[in-house]
Amino acid sequence: MNWNDYRKAVDALPLSADFQERTEELVRRTAKIAELEKECISVKKKGFIKAVSIAAAVALLTISAYAASRWLSPAQVADMNGNAALAQAFESEDAIKLNQSVQTENFCVTLAGLVSGENLSELSDQADQARTYAVMILESLDGTPLNADDFPIVEYTLTPLVAGFTPWTVNNWTLNASVSLLERDGVLYYLLDTQNIEMFADHTVYMAFYQGRMPDQDIFTIAEDGTIAFAESFEGPQALFTLPLDESKADPAAVEQFMDESGFDREWFTS
Amino acid sequence: MVPTGTEETICRLVREYSEMLLRLACTRLSSVSDAEDAVQEVFLRLLAAPVSFRDAGHEKAWLIRTTLHRASDIRRQAEKRNLPLEEAAQTAAPEPGTDLLQAVQALPEKYGAVIHLHYYEGYSIREIGTLLDLPAATVGTRLARGRERLREMLKEEIK
Repeated sequence: MNWNDYRKAVDALPLSADFQERTEELVRRTAKIAELEKECISVKKKGFIKAVSIAAAVALLTISAYAASRWLSPAQVADMNGNAALAQAFESEDAIKLNQSVQTENFCVTLAGLVSGENLSELSDQADQARTYAVMILESLDGTPLNADDFPIVEYTLTPLVAGFTPWTVNNWTLNASVSLLERDGVLYYLLDTQNIEMFADHTVYMAFYQGRMPDQDIFTIAEDGTIAFAESFEGPQALFTLPLDESKADPAAVEQFMDESGFDREWFTS
Repeated sequence: MVPTGTEETICRLVREYSEMLLRLACTRLSSVSDAEDAVQEVFLRLLAAPVSFRDAGHEKAWLIRTTLHRASDIRRQAEKRNLPLEEAAQTAAPEPGTDLLQAVQALPEKYGAVIHLHYYEGYSIREIGTLLDLPAATVGTRLARGRERLREMLKEEIK
């Protein structure tokens, strides 16, 4: 094999010289169309809100349904991250639909859903190992649109935690997780990709969101029975969800392997 | 953080990466027109759903992975429609000396991508690991296995 020939063959591909120019033009044209559509939607929404206020008797139900429908579903979030296989997984029977919300400061934090398994993602090259994916939604309570730039991934943390294990040993970092953030209509969508957390399913498994970095003793407290909570003195947006995992999927051997491979002293996991 | 979502930012990404992404898409798709569609859809996706990139490296890695994914999607759709890839290759890439390129196109994505990024774009094994979110050892293994498969495929053709 002569790799110079390969390079020559790639260079000889009949790529059109104006591809870059055409693509820029396409982006600009599409952006304009999107802007026009947004203006139209804004006008329609004003009418919709007036209609809803008249139907006061069903207000609560209407608001719930509206809230649910205006969010992207976990499958849509996965799809927009360029991950059609994961989108399908979120639509499957194995996915857990949560839609649990916590109000914290001026935010509503919603854990929309999660799914675990092997080969669920085409983007992750760790997909052949069992992984867990979760979608969390962040929006302001007063309707102010949120901007992704104001919520840097490094300054806000979405992480699994496990009762009975210290937050500083079982978390986003040690579970080799990554988070993608996307913004749509002033709502932020977090897509978490982490090592499979079902292995801990015989413990209480949490999903925590907070403003801060690595979990530490200033952020979390551990009760004598191993349950985890935010420290009373910890300030800033925070939410802690308990995940309804299937206990039968616990894998103590995988947990042992995880602890072995972490390089931590065993006592760090519990104290 | 590198903001995306505005047309100016995306046009900057188009200027910086479109050619590289188009060549990469061509390693999955033998039709240049399909490869163009894949790359354009990636940029339009940023317009519809802005992604917050940590830094330029994250930005490039996202573009590469999403392009590979989209190109593979288009390829699967073409295969479902029973469009023979060889036929597309004959109409779209008639240049001589393309045996090796066509063999790379026929490789599974995990091998084709690392082969192209290493031998055409000149990325080191470690750099490819960062771009594709893979351990360097895995990239090395894929390069070796990809080369081995290419040797087998090209031998078969000679026979």
